[in-house]
Amino acid sequence: MNDTDLDALLSAPLPERDAGAFTVLLMEKIAHDQARPARILSWITVGILTLIVAAATIYGAQAMGHAASFSFAIPALLTLLTLALSYAVMQSARET
Amino acid sequence: MDDPALIARVIGKDVAAFNALARLHQSKVRGLLLRLTRGNHATADDLAQETFLEAWRGIGNFRGDSAIATWLYRIAYSRFLMHARKRKPDEQLDDWQGEAASGEGATHVRIDLERAFAKLSAPESAALTMCFALGLSNTEAAEALDMPLGTLKSHVLRGREKLKTILGDQP
Repeated sequence: MNDTDLDALLSAPLPERDAGAFTVLLMEKIAHDQARPARILSWITVGILTLIVAAATIYGAQAMGHAASFSFAIPALLTLLTLALSYAVMQSARET
Repeated sequence: MDDPALIARVIGKDVAAFNALARLHQSKVRGLLLRLTRGNHATADDLAQETFLEAWRGIGNFRGDSAIATWLYRIAYSRFLMHARKRKPDEQLDDWQGEAASGEGATHVRIDLERAFAKLSAPESAALTMCFALGLSNTEAAEALDMPLGTLKSHVLRGREKLKTILGDQP
């Protein structure tokens, strides 16, 4: 093979590739990448909510020990609410 | 040729503009990586995805000193080098991997060329592809490959000689 033939062969453009599926996948990855700060925030929120649950549980236990007439309903309700909120945050993080 | 308005929109984190930019350049980036991975379509496309994702994240660092294509090839090549370093020895690719890689309308000459490219080192293969098939100047290719101009020219010369020998030996 001489230089001219080789140059012609090397200069031939690379085969054209279809952009369709490639760019769709790329856009999905970019959307996932963009949602990352929201996901991190969700996990931080979950952490804070877990701390609230722990505090409410401790508070409830202490109140039960100190006053026999103490109603367990309020801390229990708070705990349930917190758990429901945590679940909602996690679901939203999964969706994003 | 770069469209400054499109690039300005991409720098402003406009996803639609980046999609348009990716559509413009994906074929050549994937083609370069396909050659570097010796015909491994799956790896080449994974690396191309990583290339564009990195470009999206780092578009703020693009200063416009070079063409956007050169900048993308630079990311693609560095991604390939990272992949090559991580690859286990038994995954070493010694030959052109696939017949399917030849694509539509591929001639025997083209397939022979790709098989010959598989015998070159990565810098030789990248240098030749950039300077010939992708139409970059020597300076642009040296910049994309992050090597001095003299080194690039050596890779081009050595690669050409090897290709001539390999293709000349074939029946």
